Amino acid sequence: MAFPVPGSEVFTQRGLASREAVLAALPDSLELHQHDPSFDELDALTAEVVRHRLWATTERMGQALNRMSGSLVVTDCNDIGVVITNEIGDVVQVGPYSLSLATSIDLAIRWILEHRGPSGIRDGDMFLCNDPWIGGAIHQNDVAVIAPIFHDGKLFAWTASMAHQIDLGGASPGSWTPRAEDVFMESLPTPPVRIVRNFEIQDDVEDVYLRRSRMPKVVALDLRAKIGANRVGRERVLELVERYGADTVKATMARQLDDAEAKLRAKLALAPDGTWTASSFQEQSHTGDRNLHEVRCTLTKTGTEMHFDFTGTSPEAGMINCTYAGLHGALVAGIIMNLGHDIPWATGGMWRAITVTSEPGTLNNADFPAAVGKASVAASFCTINVVEECLSKMTDGSEGLHDHTTAKGCGTWDLCVLAGLDGAGQPFATMLTDAMGAGCGAGVDRDGTDSGGILSIPMGRMPDVEMMEFSAPILYLWRREETDTGGAGRYRGGVTASLAIIPHNTEVPMGQVVSGSGKAVSQNTGLAGGYPGNTQLDIAVREGELARVFAEGRIPAAVEEMGGTTEILSCEEETVLGPRDVHVMLWQGGGGYGDPVSRDPGLVVHDVAELRVSPQAAHDIYGVVLVDGELDEAGTTARREQIKNERREKAVAAR
Amino acid sequence: MVYVLGIDVGGTFTDAVAADLDGNLYSAKAPSTPPDFGQGVLDSIDALSASMGVSTAELLGQTSYIAHGTTSTLNALVTGAVATTGFITTKGHRDAIFIMNIEGRYAGKGAEEIQAVKRTRKPKALVPKRQVKEAVERIDLNGSVVVTLDEEALRADVRDLLEQGVTSIAVSLLWSFRNPSHEHRVREIIEEMAPEVFVVLSSDISPRIREYPRSVTTLLNAQVGPMLRDYLAPLQAELENRGLEGPLLIMQGSGGTIAAAEAPKVAITTIGSVLTGGVAGARKLGSQLGHENIISTDIGGTTFLVGMVVDGEPVMESSTVLDQYRISTPMAKVATIGSGGGAIASLDANNNLHVGPRSAGAKPGPACFGMGGEEPTVTDANLVLGILNPDYFLGGAKTLDVEKARAAIATHIGDPLGLSVEDAAAAIFEIQNAQTADLVRTEVVGAGFDPRDFMIYAFGGSGPIHCAAYGRDLRSQGILVPLGPTSSTFSAYGLANADVLVTAERSDPMALPADPARLTKHLQELEAEVREQLEAQGLTYKEIRTSREADVRYTAQIWEVPTPIPDGELTEESVRGIVDAFEDRYSTLYGSGTGFADAGVQAITYRVYGVGVLPYKPDLPQAAEAQSHSPEVKTHRRAMLDARAGWQQVAVYAYTALAAGHVLEGPAIIEAPSTTVVVPGGATATVDRLGNVVITYREEKNHGVPGSGL
Repeated sequence: MAFPVPGSEVFTQRGLASREAVLAALPDSLELHQHDPSFDELDALTAEVVRHRLWATTERMGQALNRMSGSLVVTDCNDIGVVITNEIGDVVQVGPYSLSLATSIDLAIRWILEHRGPSGIRDGDMFLCNDPWIGGAIHQNDVAVIAPIFHDGKLFAWTASMAHQIDLGGASPGSWTPRAEDVFMESLPTPPVRIVRNFEIQDDVEDVYLRRSRMPKVVALDLRAKIGANRVGRERVLELVERYGADTVKATMARQLDDAEAKLRAKLALAPDGTWTASSFQEQSHTGDRNLHEVRCTLTKTGTEMHFDFTGTSPEAGMINCTYAGLHGALVAGIIMNLGHDIPWATGGMWRAITVTSEPGTLNNADFPAAVGKASVAASFCTINVVEECLSKMTDGSEGLHDHTTAKGCGTWDLCVLAGLDGAGQPFATMLTDAMGAGCGAGVDRDGTDSGGILSIPMGRMPDVEMMEFSAPILYLWRREETDTGGAGRYRGGVTASLAIIPHNTEVPMGQVVSGSGKAVSQNTGLAGGYPGNTQLDIAVREGELARVFAEGRIPAAVEEMGGTTEILSCEEETVLGPRDVHVMLWQGGGGYGDPVSRDPGLVVHDVAELRVSPQAAHDIYGVVLVDGELDEAGTTARREQIKNERREKAVAAR
Repeated sequence: MVYVLGIDVGGTFTDAVAADLDGNLYSAKAPSTPPDFGQGVLDSIDALSASMGVSTAELLGQTSYIAHGTTSTLNALVTGAVATTGFITTKGHRDAIFIMNIEGRYAGKGAEEIQAVKRTRKPKALVPKRQVKEAVERIDLNGSVVVTLDEEALRADVRDLLEQGVTSIAVSLLWSFRNPSHEHRVREIIEEMAPEVFVVLSSDISPRIREYPRSVTTLLNAQVGPMLRDYLAPLQAELENRGLEGPLLIMQGSGGTIAAAEAPKVAITTIGSVLTGGVAGARKLGSQLGHENIISTDIGGTTFLVGMVVDGEPVMESSTVLDQYRISTPMAKVATIGSGGGAIASLDANNNLHVGPRSAGAKPGPACFGMGGEEPTVTDANLVLGILNPDYFLGGAKTLDVEKARAAIATHIGDPLGLSVEDAAAAIFEIQNAQTADLVRTEVVGAGFDPRDFMIYAFGGSGPIHCAAYGRDLRSQGILVPLGPTSSTFSAYGLANADVLVTAERSDPMALPADPARLTKHLQELEAEVREQLEAQGLTYKEIRTSREADVRYTAQIWEVPTPIPDGELTEESVRGIVDAFEDRYSTLYGSGTGFADAGVQAITYRVYGVGVLPYKPDLPQAAEAQSHSPEVKTHRRAMLDARAGWQQVAVYAYTALAAGHVLEGPAIIEAPSTTVVVPGGATATVDRLGNVVITYREEKNHGVPGSGL
């Protein structure tokens, strides 16, 4: 159980300190380079050139991090973040990677200024942090390396690079366990420590960091990748300063922040004032739990400001919580996805139009030492879901913003971590990142993208099957798109995919962690009468007879063809994948938009031909009748009329 | 045989260049003739022979070979005019080409498109699902057969594909590059059932790990192979009919050529056929001038192409993105960016100025063309700034309308920002220069090189206007504008100079240092394969050269670094040398101290490039020597060549009056018939012995970044 820990308060942040508060806490020895509002030499030309180069710099940083990293979750999922901030940590530019991760960095930089300022923040320092109560990390697997940039002895700006690390210790491989009762059963959170001083890696600090991991070599490689990415950022920012002058670059940063704010406000002005609500659920907080846990959001838009109120969210429970940083990052990630397509991704400016209410001790604002090891795909993901849904409901009713409305895509993550020994007796640990291949939500004028990914990581990827089979002793029976997984609607949600794997070339049972909500409730809600997408499913086939099936020259395409016994897995399990077992995973598709019986029947016929919709669902849900794969127009008209009549009868009965 | 011909097909014109043994160069143009580009090729040869005063039969009869850059493959893909193709893959994995590893949703898209994340979507599927068949078979990572091929089921599937009317079939099975026996058997069965069907195996076309790009490469090759065959066969027949004795060679994206008869088998390698001519030209010119490292920049009306030559060879990349699909075929690394002279300047809602990526293209074109363009473009800004001469655009072939340019800039940029037309034009000019520098830097630095080690070659209509600015920004060693006899047909000249290039590759992931014998065996087999391929071209070479490389990475990284491997029998020492070479290359790319040998090093894919050096390479002829040191000034006019210097009285020179050895000081403008060269204040332009203009800066300040020795 999580009891309060006196002395932990200093590490807990629940909001972004104002510039005045930051300045008041700084020692005299640390000089900041600040924007001078009277500086008026910034012309359109220079501002555009510098703006362009800041964007190019984050792109280069992300590329460097991705190319140097040693873990599939980084290189193939792009579960990374890169940012440039001003001197006090206001985010000026976010790279197109994990949005919620990157956008919580402002909290961490504020904390460093306040708490590491007195002992000195110097040129050549870099801070490592994976403390979710501080920020820059949603859960402990997220490790940020944060670097101050000095010019002329003054603190000018910061860059940060973050990435998900495959294992940082704790009770289970992969560092999160459904058994966790508090953070002490998980990976150790590390508040900002100087991993680099005077441009040199501190070996003692590095050893403290690596010692906790089951995969220290990969973690060490990734650490260098993050340091390298910051170095790229520093060089490019200083080149700009050298060429255009520090005041000009700073004025551009200020303008970027102002732009983001102004453009967000201009958009909000297009929407009617009002209140919208949404709820998203996690159905199991730890092994054995059978309860539902809710994240609730009420968005009130007044004029050009938004207030997000999370009152009513369930109390913290088990290991599905997130800290305030998880809420903070998720909130702005939702705004970027729904409203940010033509706004600079300078979240420091966006925050000026946003206020938040949230009760401490709740699912998405957990107290220390609650278990938060799963936060990024638990309560924080749920927070993205409710923010997206509230914003979509708002824009759906706004003439000027309507076009960018979408139903929810996949709203959860299906985690499967495997660890054991390969055929040569070498240890391995891997996360099946294939679940990135989830379906996207439908838009107001188009279907959701099939197996299009989880959009809070705009540039997410999934690995090739061959790369997975090369990285771990497993063999894929299939990886395929699944019919009827996209939510039905006038515009259909994107279908999702599934996989089936068996251990291959190893006789040693593998430790397995399976973790993911969305098996009993769907987080991929539809909009405007659209249906939700499917729920997730994880199946273990125990003691399958694959050897016999293969020898007979067959490859199973369904669980029934594998022999053995079938076990449907709950949301949170720690189990063992035996040498003759099969693991099957199905992720969430996207939600639909609009009434399915208003969908163009020709599109349904095409969906059936492309195996996205079954003839049964075409008939039952879309009211489209096919004869030999061709449209039966009369039958369709009749069936649609029948569906509408049934609805009327139900409505009357309900009255 | 007296002549070598280069023929480059563009969207508007087909350029032809002939070179003879005495160093004479001839060039001619004919309109391109879509959709049958072959007619334009024949017309360009007629035009060429006419300009040389010989008959086409005489010219072709004395031609040792023709090197041809064709858009046929790319056009087929872009317009969707491809063969009806079936696809056969391993059971359970049909959807790999639809799932596209998710990255298909955004691959190849620009930052602004990716930022609109909810509007990103995948491209149209390459084939409907009914044209994809799953073979019951399975091979694992070691090449062991897990499930044997079900031939009976396969025959039924092939029959169904044939009934659907497919004329080509692509086969890509899991791990086929480790054991191609199942793919070979599939081909045998198809050939037995339908010998006329065009079959492509992934183990032939792209034997490399990662099934998604391998399958795409195989499938696209099967779609375009028959189209390329149908384009080339009649063209070659007609050329022979008209007297051609030598072979017809087709340019590949790799920058090397391949015989027309062999090209359809590897049709996908001819994507980028027309993009690489410029790089090939730069390489050849560089070899004549002693420039080993060149950044080739070609700015046309709508596109901006950047390629690189390092140590005298084009820089290659192992995969490329086409219409959001990833293709694994080694190609010269040429970045295509929609930012040419026609790029449109605009303001966003907050009055931030943007240049591009939208372009006015050839139609309606810049406002100053007077063809209905209303929005201001880079060319309009250049005209307002006095850089372009309204009466001498394309040597006077087109008159530019200054008032239309001024009006467009005032209406869309100047007035809303409260800037004068001149200042707004200066802003557009400077942004275009800075963006171009950023794009070039991203390409060069991203490939692991330092722009300061390079000469920049700038061509295309707009390149020479902006190159002095981006060349200074990149602190390059100098900027060269090719202005000899082939200036307007530089790419065709490049084609005439290309060698035959073939590649062979295969994956066998292993930890390094590995058994030298296993590595040597792979490499020697690949070398034998490229020699065989070179012989199959039916050409006589002056020399055959092969070079080896491996894609190497730290364990579990996804991105590999191509690393050279020494020739001959490898030893334990030379294998350790590969690891060292990888680590050197890695720290050049990412900075010293970023490598981490403790993670382990793996080699994934091995590749051998084979170059068949063709016997005759036309050199550019010497230009006339200058009689005096100082050239004659044609006129003076006020112009703005650099925002920091502002408006100045600028000397204007006619290129036609310049000669080798002439030196002129900026600020100056050189007006050539095909382009305009800007020489800003502080820069010096020299005419070299071949007639090119070389721009250098008088003082170069080296801006290092302090304290970055991490």
